Amino acid sequence: MNSSMPAPVRRAATEMRAWIALAALMWAGWLAPMSAAAADMPVYTLTFKADGTFEPARLEVPAGRFKIILVNESSEAVEFESLPLRKEKVLGPGVTSFVVLSLSRPGEYPFFDDFHPQVKGTLVVLPKN
Amino acid sequence: MEQVGFIVWRESVEALLVVGILYSWLRASPEGRRGLPWLWGGVGAGLVLAGALALVLLGISSWLSDEGQEWFQALMALAACALVVQMVVWMRAHGRGLKRELESGASQQVGRDHWWGLLALVMIAVAREGSETVVFLYGTVLSSRESGGAGAMALAGLGGFAAALLTFWLLQLGGRIITWRRFFRLTEILLLLLAGALLVSATDRLISLGVMPTWVDPVWDTSWLLGTEGGLGKVLADFAGYRAYPALSQLLVWLAYWCAVAWLLRRASRAAAPEAGRAKAGAAA
Repeated sequence: MNSSMPAPVRRAATEMRAWIALAALMWAGWLAPMSAAAADMPVYTLTFKADGTFEPARLEVPAGRFKIILVNESSEAVEFESLPLRKEKVLGPGVTSFVVLSLSRPGEYPFFDDFHPQVKGTLVVLPKN
Repeated sequence: MEQVGFIVWRESVEALLVVGILYSWLRASPEGRRGLPWLWGGVGAGLVLAGALALVLLGISSWLSDEGQEWFQALMALAACALVVQMVVWMRAHGRGLKRELESGASQQVGRDHWWGLLALVMIAVAREGSETVVFLYGTVLSSRESGGAGAMALAGLGGFAAALLTFWLLQLGGRIITWRRFFRLTEILLLLLAGALLVSATDRLISLGVMPTWVDPVWDTSWLLGTEGGLGKVLADFAGYRAYPALSQLLVWLAYWCAVAWLLRRASRAAAPEAGRAKAGAAA
């Protein structure tokens, strides 16, 4: 079949097949570790207190995949925000929601309430032992 | 109270920037003015969508789940990015030939498709930030009602919106002071930077949804040099997609974006050049 195609078309077809193969390879490459991590993950709670503070202000978690439940106890809207954590979440007054994070690099990740920028907290990721 | 005004300004300015730039572009030619109803239609649709999103954020309505919200935000950012690029490329290719093309009537259909794109872009820009402004103001006014300062808070919010409108007006003024050509160039760059920032924010959400790999995370850590918590780092993050801890995949997406934009614009300029040449020849004859 190939021999009946003009050369440029054949080349384009080959090229496209190569791209599809590359895309499939990349897809498989990152799906594999993902399914393994989805098992039981630890859950933590972060509360936006009515007095305008985080509880706890310093949240320690082991490296890996985990879930943080966000509880807005205040009567104002809040926005959990952290670019290092790649998260932005608006919560209306009294709303509870959650974020799922996957962090392999131990260290300190600052976060804050974007609607009350003076309210800050730190997520401490501890090395896996 | 100043803080309330500032946050409202910050939340509205991105949408007003997009609307303001498109508005000046459209107003510059009589043909472009035909697009103005589409622009205002987009603003109206955006406000409706912002209200619907705000109901979810307030926990009143649950038409979107938590994960649904993430997907929705990611897709809105991706769509806005694509629409901005398409709009800029279209303006570059047709800016000069727009008149004749619309007069000939042959490409009326093409024009109509383009106006729908414009409407969608404005709608997303308004809805994205508008929903957060609504929730923020709702919470602020509600909680200060107990302390009796609701009027002052509402006023502060209005002040913020007025400041954003002032920014919009300054932009219009800018279009008159500097030459049109330069204004066009400048706003073109601004929109492309913003589209890049939207793309990066979409990758943030896709990574946390677990549908995009990171490969190396982070590639570097420049938080000691320029953090994204506030000041210049935050502005660069919001308007150019800067990250202090980028993942390799994000970096590659960002680079691919600029390569694609450069290629598309060069192609559009090449397509526009012979057209302009023809127009000149036509005028001479």
